[in-house]
Amino acid sequence: MYLSVRVDTEKCIGCKICITSCPEPNVFIFLPEQKLVEVNESRCKACGLCTTVCAKEALKIG
Amino acid sequence: MKTGMLKISPGFEEIMPPEYRELVDNGPYGKNYGINDLGSYKELLEEHPLCAGCGLALSLRLTLASLPMPEDTVIVGSTGCSALAFPQVALHNIHSLFGNQNAVASGLKRALKLRFPDKEKDVVVIAGDGATADIGLDMVMQSWLRREKITTIMLDNEAYANTGGQESGMSMQGAVLNMAPTGKKFPKLSLPEIAQTCGCAYVAAASPAKPKQLAKVVRRAILVAREIGPTYVQLYSPCPTNYKFNPKETVSLIKQREKEGLYQSKEYISQEAKAFLESMEVKK
Repeated sequence: MYLSVRVDTEKCIGCKICITSCPEPNVFIFLPEQKLVEVNESRCKACGLCTTVCAKEALKIG
Repeated sequence: MKTGMLKISPGFEEIMPPEYRELVDNGPYGKNYGINDLGSYKELLEEHPLCAGCGLALSLRLTLASLPMPEDTVIVGSTGCSALAFPQVALHNIHSLFGNQNAVASGLKRALKLRFPDKEKDVVVIAGDGATADIGLDMVMQSWLRREKITTIMLDNEAYANTGGQESGMSMQGAVLNMAPTGKKFPKLSLPEIAQTCGCAYVAAASPAKPKQLAKVVRRAILVAREIGPTYVQLYSPCPTNYKFNPKETVSLIKQREKEGLYQSKEYISQEAKAFLESMEVKK
């Protein structure tokens, strides 16, 4: 089983900081209506950079 | 480029790869997207083989997302880690010999000016520190001295990362790398000062820790290069593999280095470029 980042939808506020801090393209997809991010797990390399910049601690590697 | 050129011929929609279809339906061409729109459209890059947590990949991604006219931009790259991602860039791009990137870009810019006299065509050089500050410094400086209207963007990861970790002119003094085990003996080259002295109309140093600032300097550099003269942008992009830090610490390392004064973001705008940028902002 590969590692990937997971989003806690209750904590995510849709600030998009994870999108601009991710070195991999098209991993995070922004959902404007729900104001949440979604993860494309097949593209994530699980570096954990997004988890360190997320102020709401809504992201976890697992 | 006409954006209609990207359209898939009728009847071939089903057999085209899904990534290509996504790019045609939801791509950035002609839409004036910026980094604020990231995540809601398909970016310029598809998958790339760079390491997890790579600062250079992050800089490259933000740079490509902040190009003012991706459909009319040609990127010239050179050997190095940055070139590993180039086959995945959905833009016109050229891979040159190591260090020749600015010479190739100069010729290309002149050719595009002759071929398309009424159209704006941006030529952007994106190369690593080895190609810009060491091996290609001659070509880079000569292109600035000739006042070629091109933008040079250096992704500064402070090492020859692609070949196992040799020290480069941009490595800090005392930096210990895989193939420089006793540490570097002389200080880091200050290329922004050289660029300013060689006549660049716009010089900036930024980092992906501040994405909005990065997008602003890249955009300004490309706009100034269209009208006034050569421009130079240096993006500090730490390398977790060769400097052996945890990939998740890339952004915090940049902030720490900035606090310690080892990296500083700067911006120099010539008088002519300043007047031009002000007139652009008034137009908006």
